[in-house]
Amino acid sequence: MLTEGSGDTLPLDTEMSKPTDLVQGTLDLLLLKILALEPLHGWAISLRLWSLSGDILQVSEGSLYPALHKLEQEGWIKAEWKTTENNRQAKFYTLTRLGKKQLETESANWKRLSSAISHVVQLSGL
Amino acid sequence: MNIQRLRYTVPLRLKSIFRPAQVERELDAELRFHLDYKIEEGLAKGLTPDEARLAALRAMDGLDQRKEQMRDARRIQWLTDFIDDVRYALRSLRRTFGLTAFVLVTLALGIGLSAAAFSMVDGLILRPYPVSQPGRIVDLVSTTHDTGFDNYSYREYLDIRRISSNYSGVVANTNVVPVGFSAQPGTTPRIKAGMLVSGNYFRVLGVDPQIGRMFREEDDAVRGREAVTVLGPDFWKHEFGSDPSVVGRTVQLNGTDFTIVGVAPESFPGMLLFQRPDFYVPFAMAGTFSLDRQKNFFEDRDDRELIVRARLKAGATLSSARSEMAVIARTFANDYPKVNRDRGGAVRTLFEMRTRDEAGEWKFIVVFAVLSIVVLAVACTNVAGLLLSRGQTRTREIAVRLAIGAARSRLVRMLLTESLVLATVGGLGGIVVAYAAIRFFHTLSVPSELPVVLPFQLDRRVLLASAALSLVTAIACGLAPALQATRADFVAGLKATDVDASGRPLRLRGRNVLVVAQVALSLVLLSASFVMMRGFRLGLDAGTASVKDHVLMARFDPRVMQYTPAQTQRFYQLLADRMRATAGVQSAAFTENPPLGLNAFSRLAFVPDGFVMPRDRETFTSMMDSVDEGYFRTMDIAILHGRGILSSDAADAPRVAVVNEQFANHYWPREDAVGKRIRLDGAAGPLVEIVGVAQTVKYRQTFEKPADFVYLPLAQHPMPRMVLLMRSASDPHQLLEPLKSVVRALDANMPISDARTYADVYRYNAVEGPGTGVEIVGTMGAVGLMLTIAGLYGLVSYTVSRRTREIGIRMAIGASPSDVLRLVMSKGLVLVGIGTAIGLVLGLGLDRLLNAFLFNAGGVDIAVFAAIVPALLAVTAIAAYVPARRAAQIAPTRALRYE
Repeated sequence: MLTEGSGDTLPLDTEMSKPTDLVQGTLDLLLLKILALEPLHGWAISLRLWSLSGDILQVSEGSLYPALHKLEQEGWIKAEWKTTENNRQAKFYTLTRLGKKQLETESANWKRLSSAISHVVQLSGL
Repeated sequence: MNIQRLRYTVPLRLKSIFRPAQVERELDAELRFHLDYKIEEGLAKGLTPDEARLAALRAMDGLDQRKEQMRDARRIQWLTDFIDDVRYALRSLRRTFGLTAFVLVTLALGIGLSAAAFSMVDGLILRPYPVSQPGRIVDLVSTTHDTGFDNYSYREYLDIRRISSNYSGVVANTNVVPVGFSAQPGTTPRIKAGMLVSGNYFRVLGVDPQIGRMFREEDDAVRGREAVTVLGPDFWKHEFGSDPSVVGRTVQLNGTDFTIVGVAPESFPGMLLFQRPDFYVPFAMAGTFSLDRQKNFFEDRDDRELIVRARLKAGATLSSARSEMAVIARTFANDYPKVNRDRGGAVRTLFEMRTRDEAGEWKFIVVFAVLSIVVLAVACTNVAGLLLSRGQTRTREIAVRLAIGAARSRLVRMLLTESLVLATVGGLGGIVVAYAAIRFFHTLSVPSELPVVLPFQLDRRVLLASAALSLVTAIACGLAPALQATRADFVAGLKATDVDASGRPLRLRGRNVLVVAQVALSLVLLSASFVMMRGFRLGLDAGTASVKDHVLMARFDPRVMQYTPAQTQRFYQLLADRMRATAGVQSAAFTENPPLGLNAFSRLAFVPDGFVMPRDRETFTSMMDSVDEGYFRTMDIAILHGRGILSSDAADAPRVAVVNEQFANHYWPREDAVGKRIRLDGAAGPLVEIVGVAQTVKYRQTFEKPADFVYLPLAQHPMPRMVLLMRSASDPHQLLEPLKSVVRALDANMPISDARTYADVYRYNAVEGPGTGVEIVGTMGAVGLMLTIAGLYGLVSYTVSRRTREIGIRMAIGASPSDVLRLVMSKGLVLVGIGTAIGLVLGLGLDRLLNAFLFNAGGVDIAVFAAIVPALLAVTAIAAYVPARRAAQIAPTRALRYE
């Protein structure tokens, strides 16, 4: 199941600015996975994304927040204002129970998809 | 969407809806937090503060677009857009305040009148029986040549119940009967509404008790054994203060002790439209209430007093029930030819029962409903007109919006919101109007013996209907203008002030149609109100009006004191004699029901002596009344030939009758009816000689067509329930005390019910009821005309404002002001002319329809149209003239520069 990662109901289209950075739907999966480890705020999530995926997966910071908001509105993650170690207020996101289930479904989907694709790639001998 | 998910999402949505500012603040704070870190990172890499800032923003890919994306994630965009649209609509409507207020008032009137009409249509026709699964209940009726809705007798009911196989139960009840009720023995009984029902009545209808129990089959099994009664909910509340200990208590009904066994639920006010039984009694106790003394309730197959209903059982259909009923009726006709020869049987639905011809009220209501919808249509066309003209003057605004990328659907939605706002506010006003109208109907007190309940109320069904009406109005009024406004070619819209200034006359067609429709509709309404007014006026002068201010009436039913028929007649004789001897009484008389009283007249079956009856019918019928010798004088009804009823027409004297002129001309067109004879109850019945012909008066309604009527002497045709009429030279109320003392002297406990002046009854039946109808239709006509004038004025001034430049050019090259006036006005007048022509045709049609349907207002009244049409033309001409004159007075130099 591939879900559209960033806002699809836009009257004013921002998709024109850049091609989508990630395979559609995978950003959701990555965010859920990252938040499954510990609650984080947006900046920390972007750092984590960067460090985990390096140059291979280019996640625009711009699409990070709309994606987080979408996940929050779906009820998969919930947000809380907390104080950081630098004594600033930041919005921390936590995975919900619903989010855990979603993560399981999406990882399973991803595994199926990726194995299918690699299977096809091997077949064609490229 | 599962529940678990709602737990997370609902608070978020609510927060977005109700705390939008906070949500926005948090969004900003979150992004700022991110940017701050990003800038720090940039600074750490050695960028200048400005560069670091720019880099941070660039990494965001357009901060504002991202914010907008995040807002969209909230999924309440439709709502915030809607709220924006509503705000916008309110703002733009406020700019044209006068016009908006006018439209709102007309919408409120239109919706309110329609909602009130719906409450009546609902109450009289649509509302189902207050029982479980009311759709499966059907009415079983006996049919004759004269009526398709006759009742059945007790014997016939038992047979139907035994033979029929289509029903899971067959029940029967009488109409409400006046019963003398006393909570304690020995007190003077008061007249209350009782109803006799079959033992299975409540079980089959599915009505469960509020307290105690309802009837069981055993209650109705043996005659006279179970003296039990079930109370109606209202009676329990008002008479016993909702005391639950009434169950088991003994009360007296018509002098007999009855035990209260239960109370019917609030949800079951009874099966009748206008009356609510105070208590129910099983058929087995009918002896105590014997309805018609001349017939035996339990034995006589022609004592038809029962309303029979049945519940279709699973699998049975209306058509199978109908064919079965026809067979049963044929069986009856074979087995009992004497009383059933001409009779059939039928199964009727609730709708058929409620819209039968004999029940006249619903026709008024339907006329009222149709007219109110016409007013709503006129109001609607006005709103559409308003929106259309606003749409056209806003062409440029809409073109700009389209040009900067607004979707057409979004604009249509915006414009529809505007009409929705109008319709909502108008609908709220409409509910107020409907409430006032319904309240007004409830203030009409019906002067009857047993309380009459008007089944009109502002309930959930009516509110729902108003909401639906408002919504339909919004869409009907708003959609076409919205589509037209947004269809504008926006390049032209941006360039020109006036899109259709050149060569696009079609754009005005919508408005032209509206004006034509308004003129036509208001003409129809006005002519209808005039016809109704004339119909009622004619009726007001008829017959008994002359005596109305001087007659006191009081109703008696000695059966509640267990009088025998002989005792009853003696009581009446003594009462009449003593009242005639009382000072201040000019004359006194007994009647079953005075003309224009509220009760139905009895019907008399007869055969004119020597007539060869048509093969398919056994008797003719006519309305009748039992009266005594004082009647014609008291009611001031003239005897045209022969004589009236005399005191010598006693029980043992030769039987006589007085007929009205209509009757005489009907059966003996070119002969004198005096001396002719009729046989009562069929070819073998007793012979009665016609001794006089009385003037034809109005009997049931002031606007009725002349009807046959027969008067029989009370002594020869004794009836138990009678009305005493007393005529005085002055205020009839002064006779009330003497009457009470005379009655008390005859029998201290005899209840006097329904003591009131005849003027009360007359006013209700002949003045207030019909007068209300005339007022309503007249108001509708006036509202319609007002709307038409406004619509026409709007159209012409709109045309003028759009053609100002053209007018300037015409005047610059030599047109005179009168040329301009003619140019502008001619169009309005052409439209009025077309509308008038259509309205005339429709009005004439409606006239004929009303005459056929409701009244006897005579033929088509040319005078009415001769008065209305010029008035309408004059008024509409003025509406067109005012803006046209303004156009003619514009200086050409100004007009040319006009934008």
